[in-house]
Amino acid sequence: MSTAFYSKFERHSNGEGLKGNSTHYCPGCGHGLVHKYLSEAIAELGIQDDTVLVSPVGCSVFAYYYFDTGNTQAAHGRAAAVAIGHKLANPRTSVIAYQGDGDLASIGLAETIAAAQLGTPISIIFINNAIYGMTGGQMAPTTLMGQSTSTSPYGRKQIHGQPIKMAEQIALLDGPVYVERVALFSPAERNKAKKAIKKAIQLQSEGRGYTFIEVLAECPTHLKISPSESEKAEKWVKENMVPIFPLGVKKDITLEPWWNIEPPKFNGEEFVKLIGGTTEKTERHCKAFPAHLHPADISLKLAGSGGDGAQTAAILIATAGINEGFDGTHIPAYGPESRGGTSYADVHIAKTEVLNPASPTPHILIAYNAPSLTKFGPTVAKNGFIIYDTLAPEPKSTDPSVKVIGVPFAEIANGLGKMVVKNIVSLGVLSAATDIFPRETFLAAVKQALKEKASLMPLNEEAFDLGYKAAKECMKAKGY
Amino acid sequence: MAQTKERPKPSLIPEYCKGCGRCIGVCARGCIAFSGEINHLTGIAPVVLDLEKCNACGLCIDTCPEPYGLLGLEQGLHFEPQDPAKLFGEKKGAAPVPVAIPGEKVALPKTEPMVIKGNYAAAIGAMLAGCRHMYGYPITPSSEGAELMAKFLPKLNGWYLQAVSEVATINHMYGTAGAGLPTMTFTSSPGFSLMVEGISYMIGAGLPAVIVNVMRGGPGLGNIAPEQADIKFACRGLGHGNTHAICLAPSTPQEVLDLSMDAFELAFKYRNPVIILVDGYLGQMTGKVNLPDHLVKPGIPEWAVYGDKSHRGNLISSIDLTEVDLEKRNERICAKYDSMKADARADSFMAGDAEILLVACNTPARISKGAVQDLRDMGIKAGLFRPITLWPFPVEQLKSVLPSVKQIVVVEASAGQLENELRLELNKAGVEKFPKMSHVRRMGGMLPQQADVVAHVKSIA
Repeated sequence: MSTAFYSKFERHSNGEGLKGNSTHYCPGCGHGLVHKYLSEAIAELGIQDDTVLVSPVGCSVFAYYYFDTGNTQAAHGRAAAVAIGHKLANPRTSVIAYQGDGDLASIGLAETIAAAQLGTPISIIFINNAIYGMTGGQMAPTTLMGQSTSTSPYGRKQIHGQPIKMAEQIALLDGPVYVERVALFSPAERNKAKKAIKKAIQLQSEGRGYTFIEVLAECPTHLKISPSESEKAEKWVKENMVPIFPLGVKKDITLEPWWNIEPPKFNGEEFVKLIGGTTEKTERHCKAFPAHLHPADISLKLAGSGGDGAQTAAILIATAGINEGFDGTHIPAYGPESRGGTSYADVHIAKTEVLNPASPTPHILIAYNAPSLTKFGPTVAKNGFIIYDTLAPEPKSTDPSVKVIGVPFAEIANGLGKMVVKNIVSLGVLSAATDIFPRETFLAAVKQALKEKASLMPLNEEAFDLGYKAAKECMKAKGY
Repeated sequence: MAQTKERPKPSLIPEYCKGCGRCIGVCARGCIAFSGEINHLTGIAPVVLDLEKCNACGLCIDTCPEPYGLLGLEQGLHFEPQDPAKLFGEKKGAAPVPVAIPGEKVALPKTEPMVIKGNYAAAIGAMLAGCRHMYGYPITPSSEGAELMAKFLPKLNGWYLQAVSEVATINHMYGTAGAGLPTMTFTSSPGFSLMVEGISYMIGAGLPAVIVNVMRGGPGLGNIAPEQADIKFACRGLGHGNTHAICLAPSTPQEVLDLSMDAFELAFKYRNPVIILVDGYLGQMTGKVNLPDHLVKPGIPEWAVYGDKSHRGNLISSIDLTEVDLEKRNERICAKYDSMKADARADSFMAGDAEILLVACNTPARISKGAVQDLRDMGIKAGLFRPITLWPFPVEQLKSVLPSVKQIVVVEASAGQLENELRLELNKAGVEKFPKMSHVRRMGGMLPQQADVVAHVKSIA
């Protein structure tokens, strides 16, 4: 009989004395039997080197003392989640989460159900002994009605809820391929348990899916059965547990092996391409930093409603600046007013480094609607620019040093049959009014953003140019 | 075991019998009985075998819960129960000594600067660091990072797994980290609260992982606007027990990417989680980001439970049952924390001759930088000290700029958490007389504004 047990349990009290070859379980405990069957299954399937066992919290917290496989000890209830982490890290591994009823059916319910529904090929060995063993005999989620425990001293009653039938719950889910409930109370049942455990591990190792074995196990200690009367414990399981937790296969679907996971890729060129990095040098069109607006750091605010394209225009301005070798930042505005449809963006273009990316007093405001113009018009710095859609009335009583340029962004875009280019019209206006960057700089940024949709470039160019032209006309009329 | 094999008769070392008697009932021939005599080594009365009538059915062996209880050993073997290892012998195929599989650096082509937001920068940094396992639960304002990884990781044969909760997230990470691979998550304050149980386990078990917390307004559900109210939590409250982790606080998208890569290096160097604290503002902020010249193809550390032959002997666990062992583990952890001080980092701006020193991190540090420039333009000798690691706090770097400083102004989006760390660390560093301290603070999802900082400094200068 081959097993996957350590020849000596070095982790059990450092392997000293008798503990080096005996378990920490009480006499007659079902855990020992399940350990034995699991160990034999691992050995017989020849997967000992490729197995990771996840120990839970509960009586089997020290399962790692015994199994000569990779071992991980998980937090209470989290064994299934940890098992998935192992499986995805090395998809060739057979990962087994060994859990008790408190761990699996109480504190870990969310992880248990989610893992089963997910269907990642892992195997769950669930020991249901209707009691919390390690903490000293408290009520478990699987404690039977009427069963008295230290936290149901008058017996489990309706107010405590009824015992949860995990195998049936798990079998209802889509992920599992094999779910069976077995027991240990007779040679025949033990034989079935052995076979079920082996089958569960085998299905996983063949990449067929998630498997779940519930084992009705004896806890003589908390059944208050004397260590030498194990038969009474077996009888108790048979007579009391089996009627509530019927034995048998709950789900068994044959899936062809589907778990074929390619190793992760680490190719430099591929990665850069994937994230949209470019090795092509972007052409520069600016002769120098637009210092006429500010010697080191120009701040802009774009304000409108969702759908105006303020955020896109903001990113295009920042990108244009960065392409020219300057620093640039963009922040979509936060705060209560950013909800309910308003959309604000702060943009900075700096010669070397943007210090503060916020724009409370912008040098340039682009307002797409009247409320934005009203709100931010007065915040524009001296000698700054207000650029606005003439859908809004011309702002009154602005600082005389501030240039105010109104252009019908929406009307122009509408004339082109594409309202979405409204923001591109506004960039044309920005270029004409402020000379921040030349036409080519903006259009290069637009082209970069359009990527595969390059066919839209002529439309965008036209929108930009119409905005530019309208701005020049407005400025001429105003004598700027 | 479908085929019937000839099975040996049972044999028992009485010392490994716990006297449960499960074997007695299955023996149809009545070969097994309680001895009634207590074994002086175990204090238990074991069963005794009388194998005269035994037909080697094996049922008793199958029903013995002890791995080294009833065994099918050959008759007549004499054993020395006091030395079980000798008795059962070294099993062939015992786990080999684990070896590390080294990682490697893979060259990246030289690229033009990218224009990306902070959350994306963290995701790209993580992928550059070799992270192909990202677990997460969506939460504003961190979700873009997760979304970007969900988009790119499948193309790299990596994983973005949306977990059932933040609790599951951190435990998926525990598994992958236990296997020795780089893993990370994006979360925001309420999600971070749910993760600290797992972080404590990771620290106990010595596991590397990177957690990006894009801080938002709290307590409770709070709001989704930027705050820095998780600073104390990240520096001092990472779950139960003696827990700390390096806590990085970037202030620009470029630094988010750089620190995201560094975070993995630090996590593996110390076998400890690393927290990246980002404020919601920085997560959303787009800026210029240069890519490094390489990406990392991770190896497998020797301590990992990778699930292969080489690492079979390993264990990931945070349990030490005996007090002495647990104290030793904590001493090792404390020594590790001490050694992390070597990685304390800070940055400063015009701090060399500063009389008024602003101290800030994340976006408030950029706001403060703007304020310093304004104040200098007004002729006020202001400077900025920016801790990059909030834990361990770069107190030595701070001390080196203190001589000229008359006043410290802490600028932060919290009720004084950074200031609290600052005072604590100055005190612990033995700085008895430190400059007068005041602050500019906002809470509730608003950041201090440059004009507020300038006005405050002018009022105290």
